[in-house]
Amino acid sequence: MKKATVLQVCVAFVLCSQQAVTGSPVDCPDQDTAGTSCTISLEKLLERAVQHADLIYRISEESKLLFDEMLISFGMNLHIPEGTMCAPKTVPVPMSRNEIQQISDKWILHSILILVQFWIDPLVEVQASLENYKSAPSALLTRNKWISTKLMSLEQGVLVLIRQILGEGGLLLGGPEEKSDRFVSSDMLETVRRDYSVIYCFRKDAHKMQTFLKLLKCRQIDKENCSYF
Amino acid sequence: MKNSGAVLILTFITKLISQAAGVSPPGKPRLTSCRSPEKETFTCRWEPGDDGGLPTTYALYYRLENSETVYECPDYRTAGENSCFFNKNDTSLWVNYNITVVATNALGKNISDPVEVDVAYIVQPNTPENVTAVVVDDDQGPFVKVSWEKPRTADTRSGWITLLYQLRVKQEKDKEWEEYDAGRQKSYRVFSLHPDKEFMVQVRCKPDHGFWSEWTQTTYVKMPNYIPRERSLWIIITIFSVFIVLILTWTLNVKRNSVKLCLLPPVPGPKIKGFDKQLLKNGMSEEVFNSLVIQGFPPTTDYENLLVEYLEVYDNEEQELVLDGKDLSEDCIKSKSPSDCDSGRGSCDSRTLLLEKCIDGREGSGSDQHHYSQHGETSWASTESSECQGLEPGSPESSDGRVKTWPVVFSSPQPHHHYQVGAVKPVYHSVPEILNHSSPHAMPINYHQLHHQDIPQQEGRFSKPVCRHSQSYNQFNLDGVDTHALGVSPSRSLEYVEVQRVNPENILLLRPLSDPNHEPEGSDYSGEDYSKVKEVTSNNILLLQKDTSHQCVDDYSQADQCTTQQPPHPCKPVVHQSNSGMPQEGMWVTGNGYVDSTVLMPSY
Repeated sequence: MKKATVLQVCVAFVLCSQQAVTGSPVDCPDQDTAGTSCTISLEKLLERAVQHADLIYRISEESKLLFDEMLISFGMNLHIPEGTMCAPKTVPVPMSRNEIQQISDKWILHSILILVQFWIDPLVEVQASLENYKSAPSALLTRNKWISTKLMSLEQGVLVLIRQILGEGGLLLGGPEEKSDRFVSSDMLETVRRDYSVIYCFRKDAHKMQTFLKLLKCRQIDKENCSYF
Repeated sequence: MKNSGAVLILTFITKLISQAAGVSPPGKPRLTSCRSPEKETFTCRWEPGDDGGLPTTYALYYRLENSETVYECPDYRTAGENSCFFNKNDTSLWVNYNITVVATNALGKNISDPVEVDVAYIVQPNTPENVTAVVVDDDQGPFVKVSWEKPRTADTRSGWITLLYQLRVKQEKDKEWEEYDAGRQKSYRVFSLHPDKEFMVQVRCKPDHGFWSEWTQTTYVKMPNYIPRERSLWIIITIFSVFIVLILTWTLNVKRNSVKLCLLPPVPGPKIKGFDKQLLKNGMSEEVFNSLVIQGFPPTTDYENLLVEYLEVYDNEEQELVLDGKDLSEDCIKSKSPSDCDSGRGSCDSRTLLLEKCIDGREGSGSDQHHYSQHGETSWASTESSECQGLEPGSPESSDGRVKTWPVVFSSPQPHHHYQVGAVKPVYHSVPEILNHSSPHAMPINYHQLHHQDIPQQEGRFSKPVCRHSQSYNQFNLDGVDTHALGVSPSRSLEYVEVQRVNPENILLLRPLSDPNHEPEGSDYSGEDYSKVKEVTSNNILLLQKDTSHQCVDDYSQADQCTTQQPPHPCKPVVHQSNSGMPQEGMWVTGNGYVDSTVLMPSY
């Protein structure tokens, strides 16, 4: 009986060998395989995240300038008083070196995530709004679109980072319920004003994101020599 | 058990049957590549394996890292056959993709090996676009400027990806391409391409991390036919120089004769009056020389008519070179007191060319002066040592205005004389003036060279300081400072002064013969003193008279023994060395006593 069983098993094995899914070891680009899948190294992730943030910030500056020009060409002169139109500060900015040293990676990552997730929707709205303008420059439109895309990509990246660094599961903030409502206004001026404020304030926050990510990267990769700030 | 065995056997048999029938489950597909053209989307392609004779379908499945969820490829069509396209939404830069392809047919399925994909590392851009190659003309020569644009899909403006470009060039017939790196530029200049040939150009690009794109389509460019600049310049230069050479050759040819004259001047033949070359050539030597004999020469007229005039040269008051033919006394030069302007005269009975003071001074001073004094006695001119208070060469005012005649010897029979004395009796040629002229020329030592002239008749007439006449060399050192020259002179004993020229004011300009070894024939030298001008001939030649009445010692060292008044004796063409140090400074005395001044002219 037993012999027969073994024989059967062997035959079955032979027969099925052709169809067996062979889990051959995967060669990961630069990581020792721990199993059948590789992960991108933390260093690379951080590098890419910083690159994202750098570019987002740069393009947001350009789009703000383009918007200014557009306003001038419209003949409008919107004075945005400092900070009034920007979104409420959900993320306090550390001011001094001491404070910076006290904040944790967790805090940084969470802050970045909050910022990123906050701005995704407004930018989409602005994009839609800009398309309604009569003579919005196409450069502004493409840039804005680009920012939206990259911001969403950055969000994914931050989530991955959180997973890797903090070991937390997928963290999706319920979102600030303080979501800005769909701002629909028939008043052209108000629309423009709101659009401008989104772009203006986003630019500031993009700079924050960039800074946080650089700090995080510095801390994670270059632990000892990090004299950032 | 039986069931399982039966099942197994059945399966086995089925397999065998299916294989016999030629159908089989599909072969294993293989993922060939996954590429992203712009780091925002990517495409994976696979290679199907053996289809086993049955229609086979392929499916791509992927898994994100750290997730077990398996997704199927969203788009099989966009990228073509056997490919899977991942759009922007499905592409994530943050996670690796684990991709497999499954081939399925009626008999079974087959799964390829999985592939891990990190989108950021599989970027292969599209080819660059709009490659243009134009020939640009430059002074240095034409070159090709290649320009292109970035691939449309690559987002280099924002900095999302940065591209590096590369181009390659070759001729149709070449095997190897010539590659050039253009960095991030979108244009490139290619130099040194062969003229009049057609070239093929291709461009490709690559992101910082990623793969090279494919080469673009070939762009053709034809180089114009040009001559390399350097070569044309050389050709022009060569032609020009050939031309010039031809002209020069022709010119030389035309002027052959005058060139010959210039380069190879004819050797002057003897130009003696009455001398017939032809006769000489014919070999009738007797007759040849007959014509040279001048009847009635040497003149035997009385000597009274001959005025010998001397040039009295004063350097300063202390030095006086006095040659006074008339008053030649037979006394030797006595030392005179420095205050005696008349220095030369008193001792050697007036006009002597001695520097009394100098002599005195010299005696007291170093040996060189001593030597000098020795020669000074026998010399015409006194050169001065510093003791003589610095000869100012030619301070005419210091001279007491005496008539100074400078005996200059020209050999009259020689037609080849260099100078002509302007006046018959340049009695007042002041040597200092001469010296003035000459000394500024930085001639420390001017020596006046006297040639012996065989004028035997006149000796008695001239007062001549014995000793100095024994020295036929006239030494006149104008530069008193140059003592060392004086010092030298004893050893050489004679520095000859040659009359350099006579300037329009009838002034003889003397210049020294500095090289005692100049004249090869100069060993001859007679002890006679030719310091006296015998006469000035019609063609303004000063004939110096050999004063043979005093035959001083031939040795400078004994010069001061002149004071002992050696008895004068007739001049004779004595050839001796006045000084061992100066073998060659003698005068060349021809047979009849004439001195060939040409020999003594400095040949420098």
